[in-house]
Amino acid sequence: MSQHVLEVKNATIRFGGLTAVNNVSFQLNKGDLFGLIGPNGAGKTTCFNLITGVYKPTEGTILFQGSSIGGLRPHHIAKRGISRTFQNIRLFNSLSVVENVMIGGQLRHKTAMASAFFHLPSAIKETAELRAKAMDLLEVMDLADSANSRSIDLPYGKQRRLEIARAMATQPDLILLDEPAAGMNPQEKEELMRAVRRIRDEFEKTVLLIEHDMRFVMNLCERIVVLDRGEEIAAGPPEAIRNDPKVIEAYLGEAV
Amino acid sequence: MKFWTVRLLSVAAAFAFAFAMQGLGSVIGDDYAYRVINVSGIFITLAVSLNLINGITGQFSIGHAAFYQVGAYVTGYMTLKMFDPGGMHPTLWLIMMMFVGAVAAGLLGLVVGLPSLRLRGDYLAIVTLGFNEIIRIISTNIPEVGGAAGFNIKPKIVEPWLIWMLAVICIALSRNLLKNAHGLTFWAVREDEVASSAMGVNNTRIKVVAFVVGSALAGAAGVLYGHFEGFLDPKVFGMQQSFIILTMVVLGGTGSITGSALAAVFLTVLPEYLRDLKDPTGNELALNGGGIIGVFAASILMIWAVKRMKTMFPVKGRNRSLAEVGAHLVPWALVPLLNAVLASTPLAANTYRVSELRMVFFALVLILVMQLRPSGVFGHHEFSWNWLKSLFSRFRKEQTA
Repeated sequence: MSQHVLEVKNATIRFGGLTAVNNVSFQLNKGDLFGLIGPNGAGKTTCFNLITGVYKPTEGTILFQGSSIGGLRPHHIAKRGISRTFQNIRLFNSLSVVENVMIGGQLRHKTAMASAFFHLPSAIKETAELRAKAMDLLEVMDLADSANSRSIDLPYGKQRRLEIARAMATQPDLILLDEPAAGMNPQEKEELMRAVRRIRDEFEKTVLLIEHDMRFVMNLCERIVVLDRGEEIAAGPPEAIRNDPKVIEAYLGEAV
Repeated sequence: MKFWTVRLLSVAAAFAFAFAMQGLGSVIGDDYAYRVINVSGIFITLAVSLNLINGITGQFSIGHAAFYQVGAYVTGYMTLKMFDPGGMHPTLWLIMMMFVGAVAAGLLGLVVGLPSLRLRGDYLAIVTLGFNEIIRIISTNIPEVGGAAGFNIKPKIVEPWLIWMLAVICIALSRNLLKNAHGLTFWAVREDEVASSAMGVNNTRIKVVAFVVGSALAGAAGVLYGHFEGFLDPKVFGMQQSFIILTMVVLGGTGSITGSALAAVFLTVLPEYLRDLKDPTGNELALNGGGIIGVFAASILMIWAVKRMKTMFPVKGRNRSLAEVGAHLVPWALVPLLNAVLASTPLAANTYRVSELRMVFFALVLILVMQLRPSGVFGHHEFSWNWLKSLFSRFRKEQTA
């Protein structure tokens, strides 16, 4: 039996009387470029929050590389190798661009906190390494020229790319992108698509992304799951999704 | 090799500075002024250690005086009961007590911080506020440490150089942390806890480390204060003290080590300086009703003028700088003016000595800073030699232009 990178089995979460995600199951294989779509309020971001430990599933299990992560705290899940970006950008605003990425990289470095308080050579060396690695990632995401500006001063599209760079810095196996193309113009979307492909092909990450832009998802993703009001209504490759009558009705509008 | 040379030199410089401050006492000759200077050194430690909790990690602690008091009382009691002048050199004993006080305050910090820092939001503020009162009330009710009458620590051990050494250590620890990648995680917790945990930062751990280190340093400051003064009044450690330390951090610029340290000195010296302010003829400085109206009118005018100058001279440069300096200074001419002009009216029937009004002026300074520099005098900035150099070269450029 092949092991899935991520396996969501019958995940359900209820907030009081509201069932935000109901009995959703899907699997990601290594190297997948997987899309999660659905109309507003379908439970996509809640799914992300379940996977990354912000919420604990009411029912069902979430397996990451074979072991259960349902209910672990977010920083433990990040350590296991899942990283994410946020729908409403959450950068560390008053820090510089390169510092934002260094915080992501911090996770995989292990000098004791005490060495930082005493500014020991090991801490100095590690800080320099983290900075160099962060600069490499900024190069990949085409942000190197604004490395020292404050992240809040970046234009919107660059902030989105910076979030991806920061998530990549934690060296994850699985990266979750929450509406990475929101608010971008067509040219920026094109560049983003290339960058996401590069993350998968060159850095060998598994990618799960939420996106509203159909052209973007259909062109980029190889498999797609469609949610509507917390329920999974379809799953499969883009061609099948595009022609699925349930999806067309729920999401793309009435059949024409 | 170069690293250890630099490190050795900076430690030597720290000792040189500390002993220079010790020697300052005999240069000044004025015991009272020297005492104020040393107390301001203790407040540097208090403000910079609170800045680690409040400014850098963004956790709102308003009970810093409690840890300060714990350090002072615990070690004061130990000195009273256990210190044997024949057995151990007093300086050595005091250094040992600094560690004991730091550990005691740090452990209490752990007890207070661990449950309340797991939560997000204002819980820490509520808990520390309560803890501050608990410690103060306990200390006023234990007769062994003097109760409400105050606690006499015998013998006094006065070592001003340790006060300055501790201040340097406190500043160095904060600065070192911020220079390294670990320090970034503290900023991250302050900026966005959801994002930082998604990046693998253990928020609770970071907050607890900041809180315990900050509390321990405050405890060590308490040890030095107790042995320096030889007498502790429990009323000194109340909420008011915590708020004054907090004010230093906010005034200096939340998160700025330089700002906290300078504000600590300023806010310790200012009330003492106002205590006996003399006019040029040597009389105690006094204002009549008109002068007091002048002070408030000048403050309002100054706030208005400074903001107006920023819009009138949108481009930074020589004109803007001159206009701003003018806007800060000119309105104060109102004070002697109104004081003299209204001298013949009933307003002048009473005069008030500046020393009586010093807490009013203290508050006024805070209001002015909050109006004109809402993020504190230093904002997020730190002192650095490069900054000084760039300032100097800019000044030279303006001179030649």
